[in-house]
Amino acid sequence: MKAPELVVSAIPHVHGGNSIQKIMMNTLIALIPAVVIGVYFFGMDTIRVIVIAMASAAAWEAILQKMMGRPIAVSNLSGAVSGLILAMLLPPTAPWWMICTGTFVMILLGKEIYGGLGNNPFNGVLIAWVVLQMSYPGYMIDWLAPPGDFMTEATPLEVLKYEGVGSIAEHFTTSGLLIGNTTGFIGEVSALMLLIGGAYLLIRKVVSWRIPVSFLAGVFLFSGLFWLTNSEEYASPLFHLLAGGSIMAAFFLATDMPSSPVTPAGMLIYGFLCGVLTVVIRLWGAWDDGAYYAVFIISILTPLLDKIKSKIYGR
Amino acid sequence: MKSGTFPGGLSLPVSDAGASKPFESVPSSQTVIIPLKQHVGDPCAAGVKKGAEVKMGDLLGESESTAVHATVSGKVTEVIKKFPDMSGGSVPAIGIESDGKNESGGALEGSDPMSLIQKAGVVDSDVEAISLHDKLTLAKEKTVKTLIVNGVDVEPQMISRASILAENAKEVASGIDIIRKILGATTAYIGVSENASNAISAIGSACGSAEVVGLAVKHPQSLKELLVKAILDKEVPTGGSPEEIGVTVISAETAYFVAQAVNDKKPMLERFITVAGSGIGSPKNVLVRIGTPIKDVLGHCGFAPGHGGKVIIGGPLMGTAIHSADMPVTKETTGIYVQKEGEIAEFPSGVCIKCGLCVEVCPMRLMPFLISGFSESGSYAMAEDNDILSCNECGCCAYVCPVLIPMVQWIKLGKSEIRARRSSE
Repeated sequence: MKAPELVVSAIPHVHGGNSIQKIMMNTLIALIPAVVIGVYFFGMDTIRVIVIAMASAAAWEAILQKMMGRPIAVSNLSGAVSGLILAMLLPPTAPWWMICTGTFVMILLGKEIYGGLGNNPFNGVLIAWVVLQMSYPGYMIDWLAPPGDFMTEATPLEVLKYEGVGSIAEHFTTSGLLIGNTTGFIGEVSALMLLIGGAYLLIRKVVSWRIPVSFLAGVFLFSGLFWLTNSEEYASPLFHLLAGGSIMAAFFLATDMPSSPVTPAGMLIYGFLCGVLTVVIRLWGAWDDGAYYAVFIISILTPLLDKIKSKIYGR
Repeated sequence: MKSGTFPGGLSLPVSDAGASKPFESVPSSQTVIIPLKQHVGDPCAAGVKKGAEVKMGDLLGESESTAVHATVSGKVTEVIKKFPDMSGGSVPAIGIESDGKNESGGALEGSDPMSLIQKAGVVDSDVEAISLHDKLTLAKEKTVKTLIVNGVDVEPQMISRASILAENAKEVASGIDIIRKILGATTAYIGVSENASNAISAIGSACGSAEVVGLAVKHPQSLKELLVKAILDKEVPTGGSPEEIGVTVISAETAYFVAQAVNDKKPMLERFITVAGSGIGSPKNVLVRIGTPIKDVLGHCGFAPGHGGKVIIGGPLMGTAIHSADMPVTKETTGIYVQKEGEIAEFPSGVCIKCGLCVEVCPMRLMPFLISGFSESGSYAMAEDNDILSCNECGCCAYVCPVLIPMVQWIKLGKSEIRARRSSE
């Protein structure tokens, strides 16, 4: 019998060409507007923080993967993208050793210790961010004011927390919050730039609309509820959407693939709960912004939310 | 025009989408091999012996549900007991050496449509090839009142169904009328891809008794479960057939062969096939005699499958790769898709990152990464609890997977293990 000359394999015989690298590349592109505005307002400090974060994240990834005997997967860009997102959640003054500590925690406790990308139950960026918040609280609020006349060096949510809703209008305008002419973490100041990046992620189908939209709906509706009852004491839902980390968290953190649900209903509930908890922490919590803590906490529910399955065809 | 679709699925960029092209006849081959089983069920009993002289259309074998005929005139050179079939098993087959004359034998006898369909050996080919006689018998038992004619091509790149509707609308319309009469069906729909404008206008004017429904261009719209969903907004019960909810789905080309059998008393000797793939250029439509070696069909289209290439019966997402291009075209051949060496997609499975893309595209609304993972780890009970048996193996999940997990392969393994355990209990 002559040897078969054709290749035989299981279906499908074609592939769409999607890859982790493409997903990560699109996430990088989506963050470019926020990076550009960060550089515009905070200058070279922004570039310094981003370069240290991305390079150290990739380096830790390579070192830890080598030590653990795994194939080196730096080229899929997931380490670099995590580094960039962490950089977006740091003040422009962040010292280099703090950034490197953060990226080490992020890659080790956020990823490699569980067996690498995909197996991590939590968002590695948020593990690192929470560790930095608790370890170096002073450095994490060492704000840098953008150039220009400035009434306050406090962030919008700090003003809300410590001075009250009445002081917001003195210091901030809606357009200022949109453009990002405030103090805060490098990447979260400009709502508009983050929305542009978020829209790109949705158009390229990197993330589903369900988590970001339900997240922002949760923030808007829950804060709106209190604003309607007493607008003297509570800030408007629009302020809650634009100030702090709402949009950053909705598009770039809550959508972290391994730690967020995959079922349609699970995604909607997850996003909505993140939004509600964000406002709960802002109104009654010890921190002025609750967006990142909210995502970190709600991701504990992901395995449970994934049990809310769609109705299967024919059942 | 009514329109419809289903949740999930893939919108693939396809050149020649919705095009219709005439069918070129592939010249008869020197030798043909005709399997005696080209459908789900028992093989036909061989009715000829080695050395017999046959003409085109002469009966080679027959069973209660279908029949197999000679597709060339010439001499029976062998009666093979075990010839490889598509599913990895073996079937009896008959080899004929052509005398090159292509002389026709006599016409079919009788006038009862059901018996003519059986004598003509009409087989309805989709994911499974089912004898139309069997299918209609079941539909009559279940008093089916709704007929859906499947005019959606099996897969992206395939254009044969849209082309039959455009080129042979009259015959298809006549076949639909015959089937409706047999069933006593009160309603009939023809599902066509909404971009196949030639097909829609041709069949729309030729067939007054069935409503044309334009369906969104998505894979795997051609599956019967999803046609029922898109056209009637009903769902076929898990593990059941459309007949259980009073619907039967019959392919457009089958209606053509019904018209040929009942009106012209001619048996089913050919298949309408699209040949597509990178080596072909734009997809080609051909009319091929049953039993023609696939390499002759490819040769006619100007393609020689070299060493290390892939020849797929069906389409790029759901088709079966064959081990040898000597395999014949049968009534089960819905299309041919070829890939050259170096163009073959590989699936060097990475670690799932739970991106959820497979969940998003699954038309059965399953969690493909989950059931594939259970299957991979041998947790078949868990896979079954998560409805692995509802999977229709359309390939969408593996197509979109960023870490290239061969999900359909794992799911197929899981399904066969679960079925094997069930039957051994």
